[in-house]
Amino acid sequence: MNLLIVVAVAVIAGVALTLAAHGGARPAPPGTAPQALPFLGGGTPDTHAWQRFHFRAYSMTLLFVAFEMEMMFMYPWAVVFVAEGLKALAEMGMFLAILSIGILYGWREGVFRWQ
Amino acid sequence: MAIGWLSRLAAATPPPVFAAVGPGLLPATERLLARPTLRRCGSPREAAILLVAGTIPEPAGAALDRVHDQLPHPRASFDWDGGGDAEAAIGALWRGLLGGGASEPDRLPDEPPNSWRGEGDHGQGGEGMMGGVPYGRPMAMTGDDLRDGLSLDLYTARIGPFAPMLPPGLQLSATLQGDLVVTAAVARPPFEQPAEADAPEACAARLLRLLGLGGDADRLLRGGRPRGLGALAAIPTGLAADAQGGDARARLRAWLGGEMVDVVCPDPGDLLVGLEWHEATLALASFPPSALRRATQAAEAA
Amino acid sequence: MSATLPLLVLLTLAAGAWLAAWLDRLIATGRIEPLAPLRVGAALLLRQRVTTEAPDAMNWRLAPAWYLALAAVGLSVVPFAPGAALIDSPVGIVVWGSCEALTVVTVFLHGWSPNAPFPLIGAYRYAAIGLPVMLPSMFVLIAAALPAESLSLVAVVESQREAWNLVRQPLGLPLFLLVGLTLTLRGPFDYADGEDLAGGTSAEDSGPGRALWQLARLAMLVAFSAMAAAVFLGGPLGPWLPGPVWLWLKTAGIMALTVAAGHWLARTTPGRMLTLLWVGLLPLSFLHLAIAGALAL
Repeated sequence: MNLLIVVAVAVIAGVALTLAAHGGARPAPPGTAPQALPFLGGGTPDTHAWQRFHFRAYSMTLLFVAFEMEMMFMYPWAVVFVAEGLKALAEMGMFLAILSIGILYGWREGVFRWQ
Repeated sequence: MAIGWLSRLAAATPPPVFAAVGPGLLPATERLLARPTLRRCGSPREAAILLVAGTIPEPAGAALDRVHDQLPHPRASFDWDGGGDAEAAIGALWRGLLGGGASEPDRLPDEPPNSWRGEGDHGQGGEGMMGGVPYGRPMAMTGDDLRDGLSLDLYTARIGPFAPMLPPGLQLSATLQGDLVVTAAVARPPFEQPAEADAPEACAARLLRLLGLGGDADRLLRGGRPRGLGALAAIPTGLAADAQGGDARARLRAWLGGEMVDVVCPDPGDLLVGLEWHEATLALASFPPSALRRATQAAEAA
Repeated sequence: MSATLPLLVLLTLAAGAWLAAWLDRLIATGRIEPLAPLRVGAALLLRQRVTTEAPDAMNWRLAPAWYLALAAVGLSVVPFAPGAALIDSPVGIVVWGSCEALTVVTVFLHGWSPNAPFPLIGAYRYAAIGLPVMLPSMFVLIAAALPAESLSLVAVVESQREAWNLVRQPLGLPLFLLVGLTLTLRGPFDYADGEDLAGGTSAEDSGPGRALWQLARLAMLVAFSAMAAAVFLGGPLGPWLPGPVWLWLKTAGIMALTVAAGHWLARTTPGRMLTLLWVGLLPLSFLHLAIAGALAL
């Protein structure tokens, strides 16, 4: 409950501050075409910048998803770790060992290259 | 009321300056902007004062006008010949702007790159998914890639001659796919600079700034020693190899050791193709300005 | 205590952001100018907000607001006195983790929305580096949760009564500092707003929009420093002084360390950093977790 209230208040305060900063500034002339040109050090672009961007790290993101799922198992594991003792340590050790082999395989396959 | 109070607070800040550097004044401008009493801006959007150092040759005049118009209002420009007390003059301009002084109007006509208003279903200038010129500009189209062969969009632009990460005067005609340079050609060579521009500390400072060590770059330009860690290790080995067997890292090591570097720079077009943008800017800054200028002139003559 | 907590969070955020800007300038130029942050902010507020050709105006304006809100929520899970956090959640670490992940989204939106090349490259580049940085971050925080047997930050602080996690888990703070550099777009992990992109995601920002973005970066630095202080330095625990004062002192210390690291460490190219993160830092955080686990038993 407290969490929801804090999140709501923080978002409303952030947006209000943004609106106040933009509204309180000196009224400026509206933007003109030469001013709106994206900055390229005096150069000009042929096209809009929005594009089907070649995200060079895309192959890494698949491995990232695997690790994010693993993170979800770790939250409850952390809470019962001391109670379960060595068994919990061995289980997570095995899990991480398997994922580490995944990292090594990915590395060999060039998953982390800016390809 | 509130504005007057803000202006008084703001008047004591270092003036935010974006520098358009012309022929001969690179070393002087670098030393000027290394002072803590001026705020060096990486983009005209951050700046209030456009510092025009030297006489900008005619082919770059339109580019200078474009950069001028990109500054937010209120703005002023300052033509500097390398002499006099530029710091005081810029400070006076800045306080004048904050005191309600007139802002410089646009130099270029207020016309979109292509006429688009009223065309298309919503008057946005486009037809269908990719056609037309929405908001005055066409959309990017797909093309071949060098590294993994995925055909995604190409972004072609002329970058420079006043791009802060490139040598002043150099205009690159480049096609990027994502952040990778797919094709690059020199549209205009860098401006000629005096021999001082090749000094070890000036060259090292340019590389350090691109490596995120701006404070160290300024310290070097003021005659101090750099404190940052990992600058050499941060540059990939083999980047921008020269004919003498050196690379960008070796040249930075020589500059940090106070040695002049005299190398032959390869054709910048060939040098940049296949590099990621950060690597490309490091590669260009890793050659002394005179070597880079000779290489671009040789490429033009060929 | 609980009635003053919202005020404490707000005060810490505002005063901390001011102190962070001040430290930033002190370490960069060696000048002591306490009023400089306010002056720079005032100068930006007086300037025009430029718009680009066909931007996503709403996201462009709101990205700093999200960033600020994430910093505020992140700071709210940090206990200001033993047993007293504004968000006293049993899963405080998960709440903080989601603030970290949403920061990557916010920075991406900020770079994507102006429809301009340099911000766009900065946005994608930050996403590529920011995502893998979240992994060491969560390993480090989970390692801190092991001796506490809880994901609540109040419990993590309580578990440090005998020894700080800085001593028990020495690899934790250095690894977490790298996360802080990423979250606040600083120095070696500033893949969003670098010099090689003329300011990256903020290359097209002017006037109030730029002022808010810089403010939000500083606020996130405050939230991160307070979090690191709570997880590794025992947060509000300490003799003689009241809890909030101890937290402030420790937060200021971490903040100075982060700012200094941002100014003194060089940034490598994004491709090499990606490999370094997966092949170097991630195995190091596995090792850290194994050591912390063995010690907790």
